[in-house]
Amino acid sequence: MTHGTRVLTNSVDATIVRDMEPGEARNSLTELRRGVLEFCVLALVREEESYAFDIVRVLAGAGSLVTSEGTIYPLLSRLRRDGLVTTTWRESDAGPPRRYYRITDQGRRALDAFAGDWRRFADAVDALLTNGGRSGERHAG
Amino acid sequence: MASDMQADALIRDYLGRLQAASWPLPAGRRAELSGEVAEHIEAALAEAGRRDEVTVRNVLERLGPPEEIVAAEAGGEPDHTTIIMGAAQAPAAAASPWGAVEIMAILFLTAGAVFIPIVGPVIGLVFTAGSGRWTTRQKLVASTIVLASLPLAVLVSLAA
Repeated sequence: MTHGTRVLTNSVDATIVRDMEPGEARNSLTELRRGVLEFCVLALVREEESYAFDIVRVLAGAGSLVTSEGTIYPLLSRLRRDGLVTTTWRESDAGPPRRYYRITDQGRRALDAFAGDWRRFADAVDALLTNGGRSGERHAG
Repeated sequence: MASDMQADALIRDYLGRLQAASWPLPAGRRAELSGEVAEHIEAALAEAGRRDEVTVRNVLERLGPPEEIVAAEAGGEPDHTTIIMGAAQAPAAAASPWGAVEIMAILFLTAGAVFIPIVGPVIGLVFTAGSGRWTTRQKLVASTIVLASLPLAVLVSLAA
């Protein structure tokens, strides 16, 4: 897409959109993931404390929420710094002590706020995606 | 076993790359991250119950490129919370990347101290203060060290 002319017939436009699609789609998924991942982690440690490795496994298993498993460690570190999770070292049967993560009250508040926002956000996007925002009423063409 | 040695070499190489890529991180966090990733590798291998080259390659591939892990450390999520949820509480601001201001600050604080005694480090501090890369606390520590060493620099230059 080096040419700057934007005078396009519908069919050319469609071709270009199709050509762009893979990269664009991957990017938007990456962006989405980035925004929600920390709350997914908070949700995972909401009821019981978890070992980082297990958190990663669950996220990687759940609809590819994580593609590069290693990137979860920077995220956990940030949550810790922000006081949304707290950690405890525990003895492990296999090997050295392990760090377990648990949600804090502040983390719980952030997660609750997000859960509400997410619901509204997802509903709004769903509505737009399914019928172009015409709230249920079908447009007779 | 040759294969096991190869596997250990792969792990060493991976952790070496992580170490190399993570130079911008604070020393403490850098060591911690390296430990976390090493622990993850061990846990994954223990889970797999084997330690051959193929298993190690798979574990490392799932971890992702070390550079990507370090990039995630730097934040890399510009205002994501505002995009998705507007007014909800935002996490601490992500550190801004290295730029000209940071490089000038480091240059003046290091080489500047040698070539332009006293004035150089002070200019470095000004750059440091103007940077969004470091926290207020880090800036205070830097200022304290530099300013505290200034009288010493004066004494040395007078004696010389």
